[in-house]
Amino acid sequence: MLETRQVRNQSPPECLFSEEHVKQIKANYQDWFDNSLRDADRESEGKYFTHSGIPIKLIYTPADIDHLNYTEDIGFSGHPPYLRGVYPNMYRGRFFTVRQLAGLGAPEDCNERVCYLLDHGATGISILFDLPTVRGYNSDDPEAEGNVGACGAAVDSIWDIDAFFKDIDLGTASTNIVTHLPSTSLVIPAMYFAVAEQRGTPWTSVAGTCQNDFIMETCVGSAPEILPPQASFRMQCDVIEWVCKNIPRWNPVSYNGYNLREAGTDAVGEVGTAIANAMATADELIRRGMKIDDFAPRMSFFWDLHNDFFEEIAKCRASRKVWYQLMKERYNAQKPKSLLMRFHVQTAGVTLPATEPLNNVARSAFQGMAAVLGGCQSLHIDSYDEAYSAPTEEAALLSLRTQQILQAETGICSTVDPLAGSYYVEYLTDQMVQRIWDHINKIEGMGGLVKAVEDGWLHREISTYNMDYQKKIESGEMKIVGVNFQVAAEKETKAIEVYEYPETYSRQKTKLEKLRKERSSTKVQECLDALKDACHREENLVPHCLEAVKNLVTLGEIEETFREEFGLWAFPLL
Amino acid sequence: MERKIRVVMAKLGLDIHWRGVYLVSQFLKDSGMEVIYLGNKFPEQIVEAAVEEDADVIGLSSLGGSHLTLGPKVVRLLKERGLDHIKVFMGGVMAPKDARSLEEEHGIAKVYLPDTPMQVIIDGIRSTVALA
Repeated sequence: MLETRQVRNQSPPECLFSEEHVKQIKANYQDWFDNSLRDADRESEGKYFTHSGIPIKLIYTPADIDHLNYTEDIGFSGHPPYLRGVYPNMYRGRFFTVRQLAGLGAPEDCNERVCYLLDHGATGISILFDLPTVRGYNSDDPEAEGNVGACGAAVDSIWDIDAFFKDIDLGTASTNIVTHLPSTSLVIPAMYFAVAEQRGTPWTSVAGTCQNDFIMETCVGSAPEILPPQASFRMQCDVIEWVCKNIPRWNPVSYNGYNLREAGTDAVGEVGTAIANAMATADELIRRGMKIDDFAPRMSFFWDLHNDFFEEIAKCRASRKVWYQLMKERYNAQKPKSLLMRFHVQTAGVTLPATEPLNNVARSAFQGMAAVLGGCQSLHIDSYDEAYSAPTEEAALLSLRTQQILQAETGICSTVDPLAGSYYVEYLTDQMVQRIWDHINKIEGMGGLVKAVEDGWLHREISTYNMDYQKKIESGEMKIVGVNFQVAAEKETKAIEVYEYPETYSRQKTKLEKLRKERSSTKVQECLDALKDACHREENLVPHCLEAVKNLVTLGEIEETFREEFGLWAFPLL
Repeated sequence: MERKIRVVMAKLGLDIHWRGVYLVSQFLKDSGMEVIYLGNKFPEQIVEAAVEEDADVIGLSSLGGSHLTLGPKVVRLLKERGLDHIKVFMGGVMAPKDARSLEEEHGIAKVYLPDTPMQVIIDGIRSTVALA
């Protein structure tokens, strides 16, 4: 309704400034440039760039955004093109979800940490797994040696998910399950759904997100055993298809720009690649007979908020507009919810050095502020001990408190998209929109993201980017306070406390031994045989995984079946 | 011509973070060393590759928490096979006290923590190999 009203009342063309006004500003700008600046100032033009390489001028004026049309290009929150935010009332209606990661040791330890965060005002849960769980091995598999319970929680069976969520009501919790890979997104959320069922919580009230991104399997992380891109992509689509039909409040995918950014890409590559992945998914699900509006409302995204304050805010705003344009123009989506890009943000771990770790409190707070000014739906602020270990309780609480300070004290949540109308921010946002589209089109030109990954293109891009980034640090062109800029004469000697995880391995091993005694081996074999068959048919794998986890089949057993049936893929950079 | 220093680089076990190890590999290569990047490998495979490649140095990367288990295991396997001349370096994310323990008690030649300039790693490898 709002759009029609505006279109009727506008005096065409509805640009932000009148042509005459812009002409005058341009003349004044030239006068200012020629007469008010020193030679050194004028020479500095062309030498400043955003992190992703957009040239930055000394000053921005209406002349830099005179082509923008308010209604079409910027608009109102909760209205196309959603650049200013996905909901009309934004944070007055509901604050972003305060969702700090928790994951270390055994599930029982994590339950303690999750409850601690909830007791201190966290409003969402985000659970992180150890590397054996992430890559689909049981705690007692030989591959898991040395990694059980480190950097995340160990999960082997449905019992562990039950323990993880002890005393937490799955009907009211909002849970992000950081599964990374599609293959484990078939299994761990299934454990969660099965636990909900066993506790009598209807699936209609189960809310949350799993990550489920095939580039995490094939590109962003490396591993001894990697499933082929096509197989991993098929699993990604299976999870989305099944969840959209069965768990109405669950986001079955969080397109992971974050970890790609951390592995090595800029803001444009982060958003462009994630959206290219969503396009590949949409095309496949439509091929399977679904309609865009059956699944688009449940797609969610995950951004990394890096150091370049204004570019990151522009990225968040631009990503919503690109998504709207894609859904509207290419897929002809009808449901308003299909047009909304909702995203979770984590501040950039890669920007947090080990040197003078307390400085990271300041870095993360600025990045978190950019996320809120960018209109995120949910936020994790990294802890200062990022470069040492999973956060201690003290560090985790400080991150949580930083979020609460943003919400309650800074005033930035009181009005929608407060930086709109800044000549610089609007200019950058417009630039980001164009560059993200260029990136998407480039991937499309290569035959889509699955093909680009199979060919090793994305891996090479990451590697080139990292080399360039590192050289900038080594040369001092990229300044890092305390590391290569304003380096302290005397090294700080303050000892940092590191979180030590308890003896997770032996606890998990004992549980696995008990589980193997208690379950029916016939039933286990039946489940695995059915799963094996389904791998080779065009059949959704989720129901088979659900049946398996209910019958106490372990994560490692299911994943081993996938590795055997789909075979392994060689990481292209070797 | 002087023999190039031969370095076998590996990510330890299941650790997924390849950014750092791949970068260090490239910088070592650019500094004139012969670098073989193995990707993710377990200690037995790493030692096997070091033998095959006639390596002077093994570089291990760990950001996944297995530094105290898999790192020393590589040194132990080398010792068992009488390959003590191969020096083991490590890099990654860990507590400083763990890094000290690896150097003082577990035979790791040197552990490089985050923020280490590339040149420090290059010089460290060169001087260690020169002394050997």
